[in-house]
Amino acid sequence: MNQKHQITRAAEYQSLATLRDFIEATCKGYPGVDDQVLYDLKLAVDEACTNIITHGYAGMNPGSIILAIDLSPQQVTMTITDFGQAFEPSETPMPNVEAGLEDRDTGGFGLFFIYQTMDEVDYECTEDGNHLTLIKRL
Amino acid sequence: MFRSLRVKQQLVKIVPDSPSISAEQLSRDAAIPITLRQINSLPENAKRRIYRPLLPASLLVQFGIDPITWKGPDGDQHIRLKALPEKNSISIAARMASDDPEDILFLELADNAMNGIDLNLLVINDPESPRFCTDQDEQGQPTLFGTARRNQGEEESAMQAGLAPAQTRASLHASRLVFEHLETFLAILGHRAYFLEPLTYASAWVFEQRGFAYVRGHKLMDDIHAEFQPGGRLHGALDGSTPFRQPEQWRTVRGRAWAIQDGILEAIGARWDGLRMVKQIGRHARVETFPQAQY
Repeated sequence: MNQKHQITRAAEYQSLATLRDFIEATCKGYPGVDDQVLYDLKLAVDEACTNIITHGYAGMNPGSIILAIDLSPQQVTMTITDFGQAFEPSETPMPNVEAGLEDRDTGGFGLFFIYQTMDEVDYECTEDGNHLTLIKRL
Repeated sequence: MFRSLRVKQQLVKIVPDSPSISAEQLSRDAAIPITLRQINSLPENAKRRIYRPLLPASLLVQFGIDPITWKGPDGDQHIRLKALPEKNSISIAARMASDDPEDILFLELADNAMNGIDLNLLVINDPESPRFCTDQDEQGQPTLFGTARRNQGEEESAMQAGLAPAQTRASLHASRLVFEHLETFLAILGHRAYFLEPLTYASAWVFEQRGFAYVRGHKLMDDIHAEFQPGGRLHGALDGSTPFRQPEQWRTVRGRAWAIQDGILEAIGARWDGLRMVKQIGRHARVETFPQAQY
């Protein structure tokens, strides 16, 4: 039986801690979710929501971020929905992680971290919002 | 963060730009939404069949209106549907009597630039409740729900009678039913969401209860709640200087709404402006910017 949980918060940096706490409260102790998985889930959501706050809702009084978590014995599915401006993730260049520190860009690692920690990443922009789906297999 | 992610600058429309809809188009992918403009191009009776579910039948019957013919006990039409060809909006209104100057229920929808649907206005009045002329100022000029002008004497009476800003009468408490019908209607058309701009703090709070999230203004609602707490700037501005700024008003949704109508947001350098909400069809966003609120 899947467990479904949802939280909605304003898209502001203050909400990030609340979202991390929500992940901890809903996922910790679920079979297959160890400390490393929990860390990965929080890191991915933190990076994705930071991006929504910084870019998606830029220049306006921010709207909502909806985080839905679906726990099943096989995987954790997290869907982040926002209603700001949509992104084009497929066009995002990956950072050069091989470069020396002095040649490396200071940003651009969020998407890299998400792809490194999640097993599936999907992004869809529809009439009812922008949906980023993150799947972590257990 | 995704420092390099690009924000989409180009809005993408997914509905064909045809002015009307045909049986052939209807038989194509049912996930592609139909616009109001397309429906408005249909013959009158076809439009009437399609728009009829917008009005809850049980509500019409409650007022003696036949939900199919839209006629009242007097045999007159009590429903007014405005769905003009080539227009991208529709309004539908129900009245107790055909010559009644006021609607029991008024609903206006419009296609927006992204092929989505905007709920421009929804009014649900209890025709048997006392009426307050908050919609006109002392000179008889329309107040446009208190956004352009105010009639403070009538507003004060309305507030004391338990109404929220922008109301002329008590509500029928039927918004949940109307929204259920609206969602079913929009799902039939293939829409996944609809949008609105809340006129007042009280209406935003009601829409939260009905499952809406914010496209813009969630943080403003959070800020308003925080500043109405003891020690906050809005709490401090409830100084009794007007009938709408009494010290205890921070405790209720309506109390806050009247203070905001009175311009109290100046105390935090904000305005009640630019909020936009979204309802995902079939989903409840569970937004609660005023936890455990008393209305």
